[in-house]
Amino acid sequence: MKIVAAIKVVPDDEAIKVAGDRSLDASKAKEKISTYDLNAIEAGAQLAAATGGNLVAISASYEGATSKKVQKDILARGPEELFAYGDAKLATADSLATAKALQTLLAQVGDYDLVLCGDGSADMFAGAVDAQLAALLDVPVVNKVTKITPEGDKVVVERTLDTVVEEIEVPLPAVISVSPEIAQPRITGMKDIMAAGKKPAHVDAIDAVEAAVEVAEIKAPEAAPRKQEIFGEDDVEKFAAALAEAIR
Amino acid sequence: MDFSLTDEQELLLESIDEFAERYFDEDTIKAMYANHGCPDEIGEAYRDAGFGYMGLPESVGGIDTDYLTLALMTERLYHKTGCMTPFMTAMLAMKDIADFGTEEQAQMIIEAYNQSGQCAAALGISEPAAGSDNNGMTTVVKKQEDGTYIMNGQKTWVTNGAVAQFFLIIAKDEDPSYENKSYSMWLVPAKSEGISVGLLEKVGQQAIAFTDLFLDNVKLTEANRVGEAGKGFYLLMKNFEFERCLVVAQGLGQAQAAMDDAANYVSERNVFGRPLATNPLVRDLLVEAETILENVRTYLYKCCWMLDNGQSIRSEVAMLKRYATKGCTRVADIAMSLYGGLGYTEEVRIGRIWRDLRGNEFAGGAVEVMSYIAGREIVKKYKKN
Amino acid sequence: MAKVLVLAESADAQRALAAGARTIGDEVVLVAVGAAETGVADKAYQVEVPAGAVADDAYPAVQGVFDAEAPAVVLIEPAAHTKTIGAKLAAKAGAAIIPNITALEGDVATNMYFGGLAAKKQTATSGVKFYTTNGALFGDAAASGTDAVETVAWVAPAKALVLKGTKEVPVEGADLTKSDVVVAVGRGFAEEAQIQLANDLAAKVGGDVGCSRPVAENLGWLPRNLYVGVSGVQCAPKAYVAVGISGQMQHMVGCQDSKAIFAINKDANAPIFKQCDYGIVGDLAKVLPALTAAL
Repeated sequence: MKIVAAIKVVPDDEAIKVAGDRSLDASKAKEKISTYDLNAIEAGAQLAAATGGNLVAISASYEGATSKKVQKDILARGPEELFAYGDAKLATADSLATAKALQTLLAQVGDYDLVLCGDGSADMFAGAVDAQLAALLDVPVVNKVTKITPEGDKVVVERTLDTVVEEIEVPLPAVISVSPEIAQPRITGMKDIMAAGKKPAHVDAIDAVEAAVEVAEIKAPEAAPRKQEIFGEDDVEKFAAALAEAIR
Repeated sequence: MDFSLTDEQELLLESIDEFAERYFDEDTIKAMYANHGCPDEIGEAYRDAGFGYMGLPESVGGIDTDYLTLALMTERLYHKTGCMTPFMTAMLAMKDIADFGTEEQAQMIIEAYNQSGQCAAALGISEPAAGSDNNGMTTVVKKQEDGTYIMNGQKTWVTNGAVAQFFLIIAKDEDPSYENKSYSMWLVPAKSEGISVGLLEKVGQQAIAFTDLFLDNVKLTEANRVGEAGKGFYLLMKNFEFERCLVVAQGLGQAQAAMDDAANYVSERNVFGRPLATNPLVRDLLVEAETILENVRTYLYKCCWMLDNGQSIRSEVAMLKRYATKGCTRVADIAMSLYGGLGYTEEVRIGRIWRDLRGNEFAGGAVEVMSYIAGREIVKKYKKN
Repeated sequence: MAKVLVLAESADAQRALAAGARTIGDEVVLVAVGAAETGVADKAYQVEVPAGAVADDAYPAVQGVFDAEAPAVVLIEPAAHTKTIGAKLAAKAGAAIIPNITALEGDVATNMYFGGLAAKKQTATSGVKFYTTNGALFGDAAASGTDAVETVAWVAPAKALVLKGTKEVPVEGADLTKSDVVVAVGRGFAEEAQIQLANDLAAKVGGDVGCSRPVAENLGWLPRNLYVGVSGVQCAPKAYVAVGISGQMQHMVGCQDSKAIFAINKDANAPIFKQCDYGIVGDLAKVLPALTAAL
């Protein structure tokens, strides 16, 4: 089975600072693979191993994706090859622009059976790119998938929702987005990391991004002031009184 | 000079971060210190990530790794967990066997490791009456009429002794007397008849089981001998230099963990309406601790760089070990002071780290012995004729 | 003012989004996947999902409604099936999805960026604007409308999904969006049995138990519908009691609108203590029983 993991490189949000004017400063934030996409890569790597197939990665990301280190990080986790855009024009790209960029990367990949996406990206968390990409490709799509079993030219998936698990037969090719519990990301070892440096990575600027959404402002919210009264273990009474007052 | 790390080193360290984050919470660590060992699950995960094969020769399925990278990953693991783990010492013992033993011996050890993920081999060198003075050793192996051998004696300070599947033991050939300087190395299965172990109760470092090892008429054959007869000790000495680097890397990581906690604490803790960290005396302690950490780190990396470039660091590593292990204890001591009375309780991990670091002043040769080694070399270096 | 199409599946979402649509448009059209609510929209369609089909494949039928109604705005329930359908409609219309909006002023929609690190204000440049939302931004707006419901014929897509079976996930725990008090269980709980301590506190104050994402997904101690956070439940109780929860932003986004936030954590440096009204630094095994007894 030929599997493509569609992933996003994002700045590490733990290192994004809020400036005095509440704008975000990501200058100290290193690039990293968006957290839930790690599960998509791992699911793809396991599926490729189980089916004797192969896995490649595609990524439509901001300029952080031009970092050799993050490229090696992606490739150390299983994919044989990476096709990516690393371009500032994609930093706040909307779901349709991202899906269109991924579509052109898929054209570079060639034939595929399955495109795997994560649950949502760390920055936008839209959960819409999977279905928009599927619409552009005119292939079926299923989200919230927690298990994938190959069956000939189809896969059977389990989709775990709040109150029901749906068992669905999906004709291939298809786009599937996975929930984190489908596969725990591997801890990459030195062999994986060394091998990654030898795998091909094609990372370019994107010609043009046709935005369907115009971003006007990104600012940290004004935090609701909280009292921050902190007690020790011996002061449960005062804490209890405050709780009783709050729910009165 | 270039102090930057490669992408590969950075990615490896991030993997170590993930390993530490996923498997080591404070309750697990407390259990490791109570039970004198590391849970199987963690040993297996370390093995499965391939970390346990780093530093071993490729001929036995290892991953050829430079000394600096091994030191970096050790420092990071100890930094992120704040606790001791058996992995690097276990790797060094496997490496000794891979370096000096036969192909069969190396394969046997690697297979034991592949199977269990637990420490495959432990080194038995020190004896109750023979620490740095090796000639005081009385464990002896005598050849029998039928061509087999019998080993008798007692070893102590056997790191990982309670979990190891094999012991790599240094013993005198034929004659236990002080004058005899003929030693051989022997690879002895832990389950051999005549072997028994007794746990040593230490002040710190309880996550690593140290044991006495009693050898009572243990039967051996020529196949158990590692390397050439009579040369056992000289072989092993070569790996001592890096072993001392590793002790320093471990201590540096734990001292940094103590610093992380304490330096943050003084920023959060208000005294007389101001954070403790604004007090000049507190700042002086912070500066002293940070300077030690920086110096230890730079000196450690230089020693590893020298090893990686084929240079002997006999004197340098002795000075490093002396400075660094005492320095790291001082850092933990400062951390304890910064916490005030809280630092002396079990509510924080500083006390545990302090006890562990104090032990490093003995590990791989006591600091006074390091002075003896380095002092001799310094005199030689500066003498004009 | 313009025509607003509401695409929803659950009854609550149909009602909430239709009510919200009334505040931003002059005509509200509902298209429901499954049974449509009555009395909430000016025009109501429903698409019944045949046996063996998957609700996402209602897409061609919904597309028919969309084409016939030609709305200016589409409000979508952020649930698995409707998200897929809505995203496909949008792609066909050359539009993006603006997800999980928390405010809408004219064409300027606000939502979270990096899980609440910032708020992003944006405008769709496409002819039709597509938003997903749980409807909370519309407050107490009331829905009104016709009792007539038109059933739209199912149109199977060319490459249909096949529903081979379903397993009910037993629904345990409350709808936290309706709770007055939420006692949230985090990774600080040493073992599953300790959750009883949280249950006891919740029972005492007439509240409900929730949790952080890892407790539901990695540990599996509580059902998924109980985790609070950017990708889970967003609740605003009178009191939110976070126990053994460090206070990462992805979690706090799910409770930041609570009237009062209480925190119990043994780590004095946990970020939650900067985001709470009242905190106790201590061992939850001791604090929870003492707290329950003191109330």
